[in-house]
Amino acid sequence: MSELDATGLSTLDLNSRLRDLALAGTEAIHVRNPGARHNLAVAMLHPGHVRFDGSVGYYCGGLSDGISIEIDGSAGWGLAESMLNGNFRVHGNAGNGAGAAIRGGTVVIEGNAAARLGVSMKGGTIIVAGDCGYMAGFMGQKGTLIVCGNTGEAFADSLYATMCYVGGEIKALGTDAVASAVTGEEAAELETLLTAYLPPEIRATKPPAAQFRKVVAGRKLWNFDKRNWKTWQEAL
Amino acid sequence: MCGIAGFFQKSSGNVAVGHVVLNMLKALACRGPDSAGVALYGAPQAGRVVVRVKLGDHGKFHDVSAQVQNAVQPFGAEGFTETGAYLRFTVADGGEIGACIQAIEAIAPEIEVVSVGRSLEVVKQVGSPANLESAFSISGFNGTHGLGHTRLSTESKVDLSHSQPFWAHGSLDLAIVHNGHITNYHQLRRRYEQRGVRFYTENDSEVVAIYLGEQLNKGAGLREAFAGMMRDLDGSFSCLAATASEMGFIKDPFGLKPLLFAETETFVAVATEEISIRAAIPGSYSVSEAQVKDMRVWRRQG
Repeated sequence: MSELDATGLSTLDLNSRLRDLALAGTEAIHVRNPGARHNLAVAMLHPGHVRFDGSVGYYCGGLSDGISIEIDGSAGWGLAESMLNGNFRVHGNAGNGAGAAIRGGTVVIEGNAAARLGVSMKGGTIIVAGDCGYMAGFMGQKGTLIVCGNTGEAFADSLYATMCYVGGEIKALGTDAVASAVTGEEAAELETLLTAYLPPEIRATKPPAAQFRKVVAGRKLWNFDKRNWKTWQEAL
Repeated sequence: MCGIAGFFQKSSGNVAVGHVVLNMLKALACRGPDSAGVALYGAPQAGRVVVRVKLGDHGKFHDVSAQVQNAVQPFGAEGFTETGAYLRFTVADGGEIGACIQAIEAIAPEIEVVSVGRSLEVVKQVGSPANLESAFSISGFNGTHGLGHTRLSTESKVDLSHSQPFWAHGSLDLAIVHNGHITNYHQLRRRYEQRGVRFYTENDSEVVAIYLGEQLNKGAGLREAFAGMMRDLDGSFSCLAATASEMGFIKDPFGLKPLLFAETETFVAVATEEISIRAAIPGSYSVSEAQVKDMRVWRRQG
């Protein structure tokens, strides 16, 4: 294991060192005193495990491919934004736009997420153990978005083909979002994911997979149809 | 961008609130170096209110200061101190405060009362938070709570008057800091001006102070005033407001501007970025992003 103290290091220096360590095949990197600073561990393109000993600021691990990042605190805006592949775990809460536009990989938030969680996701899996904020899943194109707690308003608005699952209350569905019960097969898949990614003590406090609601696109916005003019007016 | 910060001590008794708010602001300085300011709340003066006057934007303030001191003598003003562009003094708490303010502001257009309160002191200036400390030594201020602002101006000019926090003229001890844009500002301003309300700046954030002040003067609490603000003000706002015994925040319906808060048994800290809270307050506590339409108010008992 390799240890780095962020104190006194510029973000550029710290990130270069993280990249060098990952490139050299260091499996575990422990960063002390991240101090909620921004842009930490962005564009990490080699595998390895980086653990932050506290909160991180904006865009942590953005544009990365294959890195595993663990945050022993909370994360600011744009966590893992646009990542290609990798594994993120936040023990605390995440700010706006967590997992936005990811193409693959997994983002696990053990606390709550704020607004615009997983907007425009193009693949991958996002699991929030707590609640999420306004407009989560907006225009999601692919992948799976799981919220074990309650959602904010406009959930899964203008969705393409992201599969969303909600364990708690959906405050309000977005335009063209359709909620239904999960099938037996879906519940089994969901349970596999929840068991694999949530610590047992957290999993135990969440509803059983069969009680989750599934939210998908109603497909009314996929192609323009003037008979649906009212829906379009609302969507725009 | 702008950066806002607030710190509220839940128990009574003074803490180094100037020091905490200054450190919170320093960590946000990169969000806007145009101007910086604080609204700090100290122990209330017995039977007196603190008045802080901006003497001008440039030049020598000593003559102006003498004029102001002359103008406020009939109101029993005392304890004059002059720092930078500011004159500070106290007057008796009572019905004559309005007349005292009028007498000051009648001297010249650039002379402005920036705060009046039993506990409140507003200090703001052009430049970064570090300059604020070198000019006013705010880190030595002990009190119960405080707000801070560091500004990146987008639509109005950069000078002392346009800096934040804004005191709500006419409402003792009420101050606000705002990050965002009030998009129906011109409409609201027109309506207020038709009713004779004076605007001191062209900064859209000023209307937040005027709005909340109006609600509080009608007898609303800060929470009710926030509920009205959510209905009547459009645009993006992450906003903090404080009175002598309360501090609260309100976040717009779209979540366009960041705002994070930490609450423990002893304190509440709110800031634009977590880095600000972590830089100023050591220890172990959890930080959350405020959700859209979130509004919270903390009140000190006794």
